Amino acid sequence: MSPLNQRARTYWRSLEELAEKPEFATFVEREAPRFRDIVNAFDRRRFLQLMAASMALGGLSACGPEPNPRQLLPYVDIPENVVLGRNRYYASAITQDGYATGVLVSHIAGRPIKVEGNPDHPASLGGASASMQASILTLYDPQRAQLVAAHGQIATWENFVGALHDRRKRLLARKGDGLRILTGAMTSPSLIAQIASVQKQFPGMRWHQWEPLNRDSEHAAAIMGFGKPVDRAFDLRKAERIFGIGSDLISTAPGNLAYARDFAAARRPAETGGTMSRVYAIESTPTLLGAKADHRLAMRPDEIARSLRYVAGLLGAGPQDWTQQESAHATWLKAAAVDLAAHRGATLVHAGREQPVEVHLLADAINDKLGAIGTTLRLIAPVQADSEPQRQSITELADDMASGKVDTLFILGPNPVYDAPADLDFAAKLRHVPFSVCLSLYDDETAVACTWRIPAAHEYERWGDARAFDGTVTIQQPQARPLYGGHSPYEILAILLGSPITDDYTMVRDYWHQRAQQENRGDFDAFWHGSLRVGVVPKTAEPTISAALQSNLAAKLPPTAAPRANGLLALFRADEGNWDGSCANNAWLLEMPRPFTRLTWDNAALIAPSTAEQLGLSTQDVIEIAVGQTKVNAPVFVLPGQAADCVTLPLGWGHTAGGLGAGVGFNAYRLRPSPSEWATPITYVAKTGDKYRLATTQGQDRILGRDLVQEGTLEQLNDSPQSIVKKSKPESLYPEYQYPDRAWAMAIDLNSCIGCQACVIACQAENNVPIVGKDQVLDGRVMHWLRIDRYYSGPADAPDTTFEPVPCMHCENAPCEVVCPVHATVHDHEGLNLMVYNRCVGTRFCSNNCPYKVRRFNFYPYAFERDRPPNSWNPEVSVRDRGVMEKCTYCIQRIRTTQIDAERENRKIRDGEIVTACQQTCPTQAIIFGDKNDRDSAVVKRKATPIDYVLLDDLNTRPRTSYSAVIRNPNPAIEEKQS
Amino acid sequence: MTMSVTRELPADAPVVGPDVTLTSLSHEVSNRVLMERAPRWWWVGFGLSFPLFILFVIQLAWLFNYGIGVWGVRIPVAWGFAIAEYVWWIALASGGTIVSALFFLTRSPWRSATNRIAESMLLSAVPCAGMMPIMHLGRPGFFYWLFPYSSVMGVWPQVRSPLWWDFICLICYILMSIFYYYAGILPDLATVRDLAQTRFKKIFYGVLALGWHGSTRQWQNQRITYAIMSAIMAPMVVSVHSVVGLDYAGGLTVGWHSTQFPPYFFFGAVISGTAVIVMLTILVRWGYSLQNVLTEYHLNALAKVVLTGSVMLGFAYVWEAFGPIYGSDVAARTEFLQRMFGFTAPTFWSEKILNVVIPQLLWIPFVRRNQPLLFLICLGIIVGMWQERYTFTISGLANNYIPSYWGVFYPTVWDWAALAGTIGLFLTMFFLFLRFAPIVSIAEVREIIEEEKSK
Repeated sequence: MSPLNQRARTYWRSLEELAEKPEFATFVEREAPRFRDIVNAFDRRRFLQLMAASMALGGLSACGPEPNPRQLLPYVDIPENVVLGRNRYYASAITQDGYATGVLVSHIAGRPIKVEGNPDHPASLGGASASMQASILTLYDPQRAQLVAAHGQIATWENFVGALHDRRKRLLARKGDGLRILTGAMTSPSLIAQIASVQKQFPGMRWHQWEPLNRDSEHAAAIMGFGKPVDRAFDLRKAERIFGIGSDLISTAPGNLAYARDFAAARRPAETGGTMSRVYAIESTPTLLGAKADHRLAMRPDEIARSLRYVAGLLGAGPQDWTQQESAHATWLKAAAVDLAAHRGATLVHAGREQPVEVHLLADAINDKLGAIGTTLRLIAPVQADSEPQRQSITELADDMASGKVDTLFILGPNPVYDAPADLDFAAKLRHVPFSVCLSLYDDETAVACTWRIPAAHEYERWGDARAFDGTVTIQQPQARPLYGGHSPYEILAILLGSPITDDYTMVRDYWHQRAQQENRGDFDAFWHGSLRVGVVPKTAEPTISAALQSNLAAKLPPTAAPRANGLLALFRADEGNWDGSCANNAWLLEMPRPFTRLTWDNAALIAPSTAEQLGLSTQDVIEIAVGQTKVNAPVFVLPGQAADCVTLPLGWGHTAGGLGAGVGFNAYRLRPSPSEWATPITYVAKTGDKYRLATTQGQDRILGRDLVQEGTLEQLNDSPQSIVKKSKPESLYPEYQYPDRAWAMAIDLNSCIGCQACVIACQAENNVPIVGKDQVLDGRVMHWLRIDRYYSGPADAPDTTFEPVPCMHCENAPCEVVCPVHATVHDHEGLNLMVYNRCVGTRFCSNNCPYKVRRFNFYPYAFERDRPPNSWNPEVSVRDRGVMEKCTYCIQRIRTTQIDAERENRKIRDGEIVTACQQTCPTQAIIFGDKNDRDSAVVKRKATPIDYVLLDDLNTRPRTSYSAVIRNPNPAIEEKQS
Repeated sequence: MTMSVTRELPADAPVVGPDVTLTSLSHEVSNRVLMERAPRWWWVGFGLSFPLFILFVIQLAWLFNYGIGVWGVRIPVAWGFAIAEYVWWIALASGGTIVSALFFLTRSPWRSATNRIAESMLLSAVPCAGMMPIMHLGRPGFFYWLFPYSSVMGVWPQVRSPLWWDFICLICYILMSIFYYYAGILPDLATVRDLAQTRFKKIFYGVLALGWHGSTRQWQNQRITYAIMSAIMAPMVVSVHSVVGLDYAGGLTVGWHSTQFPPYFFFGAVISGTAVIVMLTILVRWGYSLQNVLTEYHLNALAKVVLTGSVMLGFAYVWEAFGPIYGSDVAARTEFLQRMFGFTAPTFWSEKILNVVIPQLLWIPFVRRNQPLLFLICLGIIVGMWQERYTFTISGLANNYIPSYWGVFYPTVWDWAALAGTIGLFLTMFFLFLRFAPIVSIAEVREIIEEEKSK
C-alpha cells in the first residue's frame, strides 16, 4: 500500500465508519431509499474513482448533447397551446376488478393534480367514483414501495434482471415447468397477448387469476344457464321495474357509474314528466340500491334464495311447487311479482356478486321469463380473459406450491398472502417457492413474503390498456414518470421472455400497431393518437350475442334448502372505501365516511338492532368472532337495515404491512374460508367486555321532526305536486340584495343521490381538503367541505334511508357573515359567500352561527401534518394553515377560470360551462350548478320544479343551494310500514 | 360577635365598629400595606395562588405553540370553556363594578368599606376575562385586527358582529375600571405615602400619589371626578354585560337566539360578582383583623344583594324554560330537552340548585351572619354560575338544527388548565393588591366615621 493511500485511509476512516453504522443506514433508507444500495455497494476507492470520473465527465457533458433523452426539462420554448397555469387533461383509465373506467387526469404545470371521469368512456360518462378520485393520492403516496429487495435485503433492479435471466435459462431448459404467473382479473389485451407469448415460450407455465371479490358465481351461473361464458350488461333506461338481490348494480358492479346514471335518470319524475322506475330490493346487508329502493326487505341469505324461488315460481320461471312454500314475506313478494309481470320487457332482476350461483341462475331465469334479455339485459362475450373459477385457481396454486410443483412464481398485482381464503394458508405455502417475485404498489404482506419484491408503477405511471364492462378498450397513458422507481408488469414479462424490448410504451404500441393492421384501422398514427386523445379505442365494445337460457334449470338447482335453524352467519362484503384491501392505504378513503355507518378509519362487525339486543351488544363493544378455529376481535356497529342474525364483516382492513392502512381495522379475511366465500356460519360470538372507540361522523341518525328531508310519493307528485314540500317565507325588515349580473346557485336532487361519497372525495381532491386522522375525527374535527348526511326513518330493523349531500348553502342572508368581527367571510356581487383565509382570526363564531354546520376549522395545521408531497396539492386553491376557518366555495377557482375565459372571448358564460368538482364527479348527476339569473339554465329549471325546497327556510337565510324532495314510488299493494 | 344571632340587625346598626377613630383607621389600613413582612396567611395564600399563575403561563405557551386543537372544542361545539369562562369572569368583574359604582350612586353607607375590595377584585378578574377571548382565537396573534385602525389593507372591523361590540365594550370597560380604581385610591395612596417609613416606599407611594396633598381643591376635583365616573360606570357595566349577552342573543344558534340573554347575563353578574366580594370580604376581615372596619353590617348587606340576585336569576331561569317549551320551534324545544336531560344534565340541574335553590337560605338572618355558611353558599354560587355559562354555551351548539351534526363536548386537560390558570392569575393579582394597596378606602370610611359621630 502506498503511503498516499495509507494517509488517505486515516483521513477517511471516520466517514467510512459512519457509513457502516446502522443509524446511518436507516437514515439513508429513510431519506434517500434509492441510494441506499449505492452507499452499501461502494467502498472508498470506488467512490473516489467515480468522483474523479464524474468531475471529468462534468466538464465533458457540457460539450455534447444530453445523453439521456428522458431528462425532464422545463419549457424553454413553450409548445403551442400550452399555457402555464392552465390545466390540461390527458385521458387514461383506472382499473378495479380488472375492469377499466375512463379518466381524464387534469395536469397543472405538468403535474397530475385531479382525476375526472372521461365523458367519452362508456363506463364513466363523465362520472367518477370515490376510489377513482382518490387514486391521485395513491400516485403521490410517499409510503409506496420504493425499493427492490431480495430475501428482505435491499437490492437493485439490475440484480433482479440478472437473477431473472438465470432463472429464465433454467426454465427454458425444462420448458417452463414450475413457472406460474398470478395476476388479478385481467382485461388488458396487450398484457394478455404478452402472457400468451410467455405460455408459448414456456408451455409448462400456468396462469392464475385471483380477485378476492371475484365474480365466480356470476360466471358459473352464466355457464350453467347459457352454456357458455357470457357477461351481462344492463340498460337501466328501459327498466321500469328493478328487482335487486343484494345488488351491487349502482355501487361496485363493473359499469356501476354508467348504471347509476341511467338509474337516476329514470327516477327524476319532476323533471321527466311524472314517470319513474320502481325498485324492489331484498338483501342481507344494506346496499346503495337497497337504500334507494321503494320497497326493501332485509333477510338472511338462505331466505333470499327461498324468496327468489317463490317469485320465480309465481312468474312461471320455475316449477309451480316453489310457490307452495311458506314465506313470511309472501304478500310482499307476490305484490312484487305481480308488478314485475305487469311490466314484461321493462324489468330487470339483478343479483350482486356475493349471491350464490343458485340466485344468479334464478335471476337469469326470471329475466328470461320476463323478456328482459334483449331489452334491459344484454349478453356479451366475456370481457375478462378466459379464466377458470378464481377460487379454484388460487386453491390449485396453493396446493401446487405446497407440493413443490411451483418453483417460480410471479405475483403481478394481487396480494394473496393477505386476501386468499384463510384455510389455504397461502403465506406458509409461498415459503416453498424458491423464486417468487411480487410486483406491488406497497410493500404489502405478499411483497414481504416473496423472495423478490419489486415496486410497481402506478397505473398513472406506465403504459397499458384495459377494457370496460362493455368491452371498450382504453389505452392507458402515463401521467407522470414513475415517482418512486416503479416497474410495470410488461417489463418483468419481457425480461422473462428474453425480449430485447422491455419498454412498456413500445410494447403496448407494438401490440396495437399489429392489431390495427389486422383490423384494417388505416393510418396507425391517426388511430393511436386518436385513441389516446379520446381515451377510448373506437369500435371495441362487445356486440350483443344471443344465447338461449337452457330449459329445466329448476332441475339443476339443489333442492330447496330447509330454513336454517338459528345461528349467526358471517357475511363478507367489500368495504365501501378500502374495497378488497387494495385501497386501504389511501388516506382519503380511510377517512371517507362509509355511506351507511358513517364510520371512518375502522371497520366494524355490522349487526342488526334486533340481533344486537338479543346478544346484549351495543355499538363499540368488542366481540370475539370465531369461525371454526379462527378467532378475530372486532368492534360492533349496530346497523339499522341489516338482516337479523347476519354479521357483516367488511373486508379490506387490518393489513399487517404496507402503507397507512397497516394496523387499521380488523382483518376479516382471516375468517373467510374458501368453500363459502361470502357467507359462512359463525361458531360463536363472545363479548370480550372491552370497548373500542369508533369514529363516526354522524351525530343523530334520525331527523327529529325537522324539515331537512322532505319526501312524497309519485302519486302525490302527479296529483298535487305543491303538497309535497312545506315552504315558509319569513318577512325581513331589510331590503333584499340585488344581483344584477350573475347569481350562482346549486340544486341537488335527493332522489338521484345514491350516497356513494364520490363527491366528498372529489371535493377533497379539488379543494386541498386535508385529512385529520381518527383521533381528530373522534374529536369532531373532520374537514370535508361536503358531507353526505344519512337519515333513517321508520322502524330500526327496516328503515328508509335517505342520503343528503350538504355543501355550503351560500345563503343570501348568510348568518356567518354578520358575526365575523374582521370581515373574513363576506358576500360577493354574484351571491357567493366567500371565505378570506388570510383575514380570519379564528373566532369560530361563523361556525356556531351556521345553521347547516358546513364550516370547518383548522384546529391543528392539518394540511402540514401529514406526509404529503407538496407538489400533489392543487395549486389553484390555497392550502389553509392552523387557526383558519374554511368551507365550500362552490369551487370558486373554476368559476373564476371560466369567467376569465369568457371575458377574454368577450362572451357570456354558457350554462353548464362551470362545473363544480362535486357536480363533475357525481355519477347520477344529482348536482346542478349554474346561474340563477339565466332563465334557461338547468339549475333554474330544476329549481322551478314544485318539489324544490331549501333547508331550514324558516330561518330566512335564503340559501342558494336547494334540494329536490325525495320521491318514492311505492307499490299500493304493499302495505305501508308501521313506523 | 357582640350581637345576638337570632334577630335582624337594627336599622341603625353601626357601619363601623365603635372603637374605630380617624387616626386608628389610617394606621390600621396603612399598616397592612407598609408592614415589613407580610403575615403568614398572606404567604400561604400567595404561595397557593402563584403556582396556579405559573400554570396559566404554561398553558398559554402550550396553547399558542400547539394551537387551539389542544382544547376540546370541535365542530359543532366550536366555543367551549374559553367563552363560558370569559362570560364567567366578566360577570365577576361586573359584580365588582355594581357594588362599587351603583351603590355609590345610591349612597349606601356599607359600600364605602367594601368598595376597594370590590374594585381590587374587579381589576384582578378583568385580565382573566380579557385573556379568554384572545386565547380562544385560532390565530391569537392577530387579535388586534378587531381594533378599528386604518391599516394598509384598508379593511376595517365588521361592525355588525356582536363580537366586535363585545371587544369595544371590553376595552372601554378595562380602561374605565383602571381609571375608576385610581381615582378612588388616590387619597389613600397619599395617606400611605405619609405614613411610609422607608425611602423606597416613600418614593413608590409618592409617585403613585401624584402629589396629592389634600387641598380642598384636590378633594373637590377628586369627589366630582369620582362621582361622574360612578355615574358612567354604573350604566356601563349594565351595557357591557348585556353586550356579552348579545354574543349569544345575536347568534342564529338554537338556545342562544333569545332576547332574554342581556338581562339574564346582568342578573348573573349581580349574583356572582357579589358572591365573590362576600367571600373576599370574609377572608380580608379575618386575615387583616379588620372586623371593626368590615363589620357584620357589610356582610349582611352584601348577602341581601346576593339573595336579590338569586331571585332575579330564578326569574330568568323560568323564562329560559318558558321560551322553548311554549314556542313553536321544534329545534329549540329539542335543544332545551337535551339541555335538561342530555349530556349537559348534571351541570344544568346543579347550576339551578347552587344558584337559586340554596341561596334562598339567605332569607334567614342567621345564615346571612354565619360567615362559614355564607362563604360556602357564595362559593356554591360561583361554581354554579360557571356551570350555567358552560351549560348554555355548549348545549346550544351541540344540539343544533342539523341532527346529523349533533355533537358533544369533552374538555381536555388544557381546558381545565386554562380555568385553573386564570384562577391563579386572579388570586395572584388579588393577593398583590392586598399587600401593596390599601384594601379599605380610608378616605371614605373616615367620612362614615364622621357621620356616625355626628349622629
